[in-house]
Amino acid sequence: MNAFFATFKVGFKFLWKSPVSVAILIAFPIMLIFILGSALSGYISADIELDPVPVAVAAEEGGAFRSFLQNPDIAPFFDLTYTSRAEAAALSEKGDVVCAVVEREDGSLEVLSPPGSGFSARIALSVFDSYQRVGAAFAIRGPEGGDIPGFSVEDMPLGKRVPNATDYYAVTMLVMILLYTGTNGTELFHKGMLSDTGSRAQTAPVTKPVLIGGLLAASTVTSFLQGMVTFVFTGVVYGVYWGERIPLVLLTLFAVVLFSQAFCIFLLLLFRSPGAVNGTVQAIFWVMTFVSGGYTKVSFGAADAVFQYVPNAMAHTVIFGSIYGGNEAKMGLYLAILFGLGLVFYIASFLLGRRRLA
Amino acid sequence: MVAVMENIVKRYKAHTALDHMNLTIQPGETLGLLGPNGAGKTTAIRVLTGLTGADAGNTRLFGAEMRGAALAVKRRIGVVPQDLALYEALSARDNLNYFGRLYGIRGAELKKRVDEVLEVLGLSDVAGKAPKKFSGGMKRRLNIGCAIIHKPELLILDEPTVGIDPQSRNHILDFVEGMTKQGTTVLYTSHYMEEVERVCSRVLIMDAGHVIADGTVEDLTKAAIFEESVTLEVRENAPGLCESVKKVQGVQRCEADGRSLSVTSAAGSQNLARILECAAPYIILSVAAKRPTLEDAFLALTGKKLRDTGGEGQ
Repeated sequence: MNAFFATFKVGFKFLWKSPVSVAILIAFPIMLIFILGSALSGYISADIELDPVPVAVAAEEGGAFRSFLQNPDIAPFFDLTYTSRAEAAALSEKGDVVCAVVEREDGSLEVLSPPGSGFSARIALSVFDSYQRVGAAFAIRGPEGGDIPGFSVEDMPLGKRVPNATDYYAVTMLVMILLYTGTNGTELFHKGMLSDTGSRAQTAPVTKPVLIGGLLAASTVTSFLQGMVTFVFTGVVYGVYWGERIPLVLLTLFAVVLFSQAFCIFLLLLFRSPGAVNGTVQAIFWVMTFVSGGYTKVSFGAADAVFQYVPNAMAHTVIFGSIYGGNEAKMGLYLAILFGLGLVFYIASFLLGRRRLA
Repeated sequence: MVAVMENIVKRYKAHTALDHMNLTIQPGETLGLLGPNGAGKTTAIRVLTGLTGADAGNTRLFGAEMRGAALAVKRRIGVVPQDLALYEALSARDNLNYFGRLYGIRGAELKKRVDEVLEVLGLSDVAGKAPKKFSGGMKRRLNIGCAIIHKPELLILDEPTVGIDPQSRNHILDFVEGMTKQGTTVLYTSHYMEEVERVCSRVLIMDAGHVIADGTVEDLTKAAIFEESVTLEVRENAPGLCESVKKVQGVQRCEADGRSLSVTSAAGSQNLARILECAAPYIILSVAAKRPTLEDAFLALTGKKLRDTGGEGQ
């Protein structure tokens, strides 16, 4: 264990003194200041990013739900028609609006949408999904089904916090940042195993798994801590709401770190050049962030069914779900896939490393 | 025997880096390993230290088979790679601590050893500074320090003085001589013949992946040098002198260039006195007898000049 902790310590120090690592630590929060700051000041505002969604509303005038819809964070998302319950259902059935929202006497909501529209299913999946498709205001959760034949009905308690643009970008950008910290693993693994320094360490009476384990632990802990700096930063500076299930959010972020480390080390063993790996992941992670809606609302039609399994998209879904409520089974599945992807790339790296490090 | 390599073969695809190489290292000796670029020196060291497996042959260190997992054997060797193998952003002390801990040293013993090594290598004043701010010579010394932190019985130095100033080189050579006096066995590769002549008690010359000569510096020069040369300078032109000299036993050639004569004899002729007798009628201004060097032996054996070859990259 002496050698493991020695390797961990030297790797940890190496990364915190590495220009690349420090750049990640400083550059990404600065980037977030720009992005989130822009989001807050309206340069990346909801009404630019999202088309207002036509929705019929049957709610008591001056009541809680109408007040809720007048919230400036919410109003730009929707083109609202206030009407009666029957008229709202009719508008929805005719397709003049994407759905009708009816306020019940007990203050809960019914969302009515025609079957086969695909809308109710989309909105019910997660807040993240609803944000992309119809705006963030309806943080609707729970299984599909309804008490009115032919319509989907979901319940949402009033007063539930809904994500604004800043909350949205804080999640998507943090996931992206954690992916890029995989380059920590690239840099450290190259130094500690593949360079002359690594060769010298391998002439010591230490097994390769101990050396590799120490290096991986150092890069994983460093990357996670760097992510936490940004995590805290978004909460303190921009008041981003991370929900009440912080351990689940952190576990998801940890899964992203593990995946990115494994993926980058796999690429390093493949290319043998940290520069080539960094160039490759710059492109790959940018595309992954884009197709998963990290930068802006985007739809690829049928391809969306595939893109929901992009690591970013899965992480977004789990985190948004943990904050605002989402399909627990799906969140569990995505989290398992994220950890599984990390494991797959670690195994692939191990198999490749047996040849490369021989 | 400290180390034995028997019929080692190592191939990189179509290229054979080591071709049935044999090597032995005796306890307490300083063995010089010489060879032109691509001769296989670095590959031999990688096989010897377990970094690379051989395709055929046996390697034994301290009587034990040397494989990648021979941890007990690795504990007894120290390796100074050809290139700097340090964490250059970390302090000199951090580097020594790290490699010391890899060898199982810890606590007060580690601190004591680190202080000793810093002192021996003249780095105590910069122990807390990062090597990236060091001169080339200081980096080289720290590179050696990381290999001796655990007091190895066999120290392997692969071109330890490349690219440094004469003062630092002298410091390192003094250090290697000191290690030898303390009983450490040393394997030393270098492109600098004078270094090998100074510190090595035995020399192996490699070419094309195998050893082509093995012996002391004196043995090798005697075995490889077939000619000796003497240059005479006289005060006035001596037209008949060359003809007289050519009659001396062992002389193979004599070339006159004005007042200067270059005389080439078979090695071991021991005919200098008789050549001077021939020149006795003239006023001799200077006599220069060129003693064969290891460089000459190397050139004779390999047909290549060692200093021109640069680094080995395999």
